[in-house]
Amino acid sequence: MINVLYLDDESHNLTAFRAAFRRDFQVHVTTEPTEAVRILREQPIEVIISDQKMPSLSGVEFFELIMPDNPDPIRMLLTGHADIDAVIDAINKGQIYKYISKPWNEAELKSLVEEAAGLYHQRKLMASEGQQLITKMDEARVLARRIQQLMSGGSIATAEQQVEIANLANQIDRLLQS
Amino acid sequence: MRELRDLGWVTGRNSRGLLVLLGLFVWSTSLTGQGYIGKRLESLTQEGAPALIQVTDLVNSDQWEPRLEVVPNLGLSNNTQWLRLKVDPRTENGQLIEIQNAGIDELICYMICDGEMIATYERGVFHETPIDSRIGTYPSFPIPLVECGEMQALFRLQSSKPLLIPMRITGPREVLRGAHERDVLFAAYFGVILVMLLYNLFLFLSVGDRSYLEYSIYILMIGGTQLVLNGYAPVFGAENWPWLNLRLTHFFGVFSGLTTIVFAQNFLRLSHYVPWLNKLLNVYFVLYLVAFVLALFGLLVWSYRVIDFCAGAIFFLIPGAIVTMRKGYAPARYFLIAFSVFIAAVIVFVLKDTGLIPYNQWTFFALPLGSAFEVILLSLALASRINQLKKDGAKAREEQLELAQVNEKIVRDQNVVLEERVTKRTSELEEINATMQGTLNELQSAQQQLIQSEKLASIGQLTAGIAHELNNPINFVSSSAQSLRRDFEDLNAIVEAVKSLPVDDPNIAARIQDIHALLGQLDIDFTQQEIEELLNGIEDGANRTSEIVRGLRIFSRMDGDNFIQADINELMNSTLVVLRSNLRSQSQVRSELASDLPQFSCQPGRLNQVFMNIITNAAQATEATNLTLEEREVVVSTLRVESIGQSWIEVRIKDNGAGMEDAVKAQIFDPFFTTKPVGEGTGLGLSIVMGILRDHNAEVDVQSKVGLGTEFIIRFPI
Repeated sequence: MINVLYLDDESHNLTAFRAAFRRDFQVHVTTEPTEAVRILREQPIEVIISDQKMPSLSGVEFFELIMPDNPDPIRMLLTGHADIDAVIDAINKGQIYKYISKPWNEAELKSLVEEAAGLYHQRKLMASEGQQLITKMDEARVLARRIQQLMSGGSIATAEQQVEIANLANQIDRLLQS
Repeated sequence: MRELRDLGWVTGRNSRGLLVLLGLFVWSTSLTGQGYIGKRLESLTQEGAPALIQVTDLVNSDQWEPRLEVVPNLGLSNNTQWLRLKVDPRTENGQLIEIQNAGIDELICYMICDGEMIATYERGVFHETPIDSRIGTYPSFPIPLVECGEMQALFRLQSSKPLLIPMRITGPREVLRGAHERDVLFAAYFGVILVMLLYNLFLFLSVGDRSYLEYSIYILMIGGTQLVLNGYAPVFGAENWPWLNLRLTHFFGVFSGLTTIVFAQNFLRLSHYVPWLNKLLNVYFVLYLVAFVLALFGLLVWSYRVIDFCAGAIFFLIPGAIVTMRKGYAPARYFLIAFSVFIAAVIVFVLKDTGLIPYNQWTFFALPLGSAFEVILLSLALASRINQLKKDGAKAREEQLELAQVNEKIVRDQNVVLEERVTKRTSELEEINATMQGTLNELQSAQQQLIQSEKLASIGQLTAGIAHELNNPINFVSSSAQSLRRDFEDLNAIVEAVKSLPVDDPNIAARIQDIHALLGQLDIDFTQQEIEELLNGIEDGANRTSEIVRGLRIFSRMDGDNFIQADINELMNSTLVVLRSNLRSQSQVRSELASDLPQFSCQPGRLNQVFMNIITNAAQATEATNLTLEEREVVVSTLRVESIGQSWIEVRIKDNGAGMEDAVKAQIFDPFFTTKPVGEGTGLGLSIVMGILRDHNAEVDVQSKVGLGTEFIIRFPI
């Protein structure tokens, strides 16, 4: 289940959202930004949806606020009124994935959330693969250094040494192939 | 040239008068200048006024002296003069002895026949003679028709005037004819005098020039003198006053002298042209007065001598007139001519008296003729003088006119310049006016545009607010409906399961367990709760949507500027609804609306603009403080107040925002005044608000304190 956090000052919207998507996603809703921050801390939130126009702070401001601690969740801005300044801010400051206007289309919103979650996981995966690659590269670097050491003796390598070098080379090959 | 023409004109016009005078003169020469018999006379002088003596004794006195002149002159004295005439009784009886001198004071004639006095005639001032016994104005004495060897006529004479004796013996018819002719002649003369007198008097009355009056008096005196000298004194009725009669000649002499002096002085303007003569004439003036006084006191002979002496003054008038004429005073010419004629006549008269020229009709009439000419010529002179004065006046007027014309021309030129300037200025002003009108039009259209854009801005604000306000309920209503359908499907599943339960199923317990399992599987408890929430949401959404729509409907009147009956609270609510979404992030908005307010006539659309503007400002003012959102407050209230004998609907919009300085407060309703940064406010909002409120006859009061907030109090009369 995709963990979705929805922040809106209008509680009816929260109810409607939960009712619409509770069967598909793990839905977290709140009217309070502070509560939203708490949820972010405690739940593995993958997608954050925020209303732009709220009394205490705007959606863009909220995203700005949480970005440093929660860079990964995909952010989507929901607003009833197209405001070009808000859009510009949303893109430049809030690094928004999508901009959704009210009233939402349930199916559309659902697919957007799923897309966003996909993106989230893809990014996560890419991040871990990248990490593995780096680890392998490090290992390869260690092996390569070992080969260098073995080669640096100046004299003809012993048979054992030659076998070891071959093994190391094979290991590097495998690493690079993966 | 011009003077000559004038002269010709004057003489031409008066030539008829001259002709008449000439005719009179010619005629007068034909008068019978029958020989005077002075050489037949003998004279005797008695000193003083001796007592009556025996005339018959005197006849034979040996003191008789024969007279050598044709007209004896016995001189001027107080002495008694005697004359003796031998009459030829055969040829001359029945005839008349006539003495052609009317100025003898006392004249007694004794007719002596052969030494015996047969008749006595008394004539003269002191001897009243019946008018009908006279023949003419001269004393005459009939020679009695008696047989007589030797007849003598003895004359006793006394006079305060020169005793001239033009004596003749002639028939009564001849005397009568002579008297008649003289009457005619003098009648003509006095006619001339009278005409001139009246003419000049008339001129005086019409022109008002004093010299005409002086001249009239002068003419009167001259004429009177002639009248008296020629025995026409009875015309004045002077006979009845012997005292006056005796002095009449003197008085006329004095007054004609005085008037001559005054007339000459004024006419010739001697004080200006010939001052020395003026002074001299003043001396003569005094002498004449002396003569007058002498006459009054009976010193008649002396008086006459003074008058005679003074007559010389007339000679000075000739050089006076010449000097004046030389000095360019044209009328002096006529004066000179007139006086020359008169003086010539006087010379003739005097010479006749002195016996240097013969005493005849010519010489006798020289004086009245001269005086007639003089009077006429002087009249011409006076006319010329008046003409001169008129000419001078006309010249002066002409000069003034010329000056006035020059002035007028200058003024006209100036006017033209001024007019040009005025025209120029006017056209400049018109140009400026046109430019200003253009600018004004531009400004007005700009203002219209600004007002329109302000209106559009508020419509834009409204639409944005409405869109946002509508989006939320529509969002959750539509979304909730879909969710509800799914929840309903879950419930339906349960219901279907229950419905499928056979009534007599022995495995009912197991089936019920299945249903419970389904209940658990579908989390029906949660679903039930959710349905409740969703329905609440839908209900709320529907309410809010309808509220917004209603507000929108009220707001849709925004462009309607007609005055209609409206509810202030409804207007206020609709404004708050459309502003809600904007206000929510700015301030807490609270409304305290009185329930008992009547509808009142207003322009709802425009009032919405007013409230929206003020409430928006109030909310923005609270943002400019350090207060938290919860602490910021805008309170909108309506209530009914009674004040100044009138009911009002009062709207208060109060905030706890930043407040305003007095200087700012004073300007908030001025167009284009704004405290907002450039580009954010037109500065027109409140000026438009003020205009709208003025159209509603509303009273506006603004109370503000920096740091405490602002309150707008608007009162609408109802």
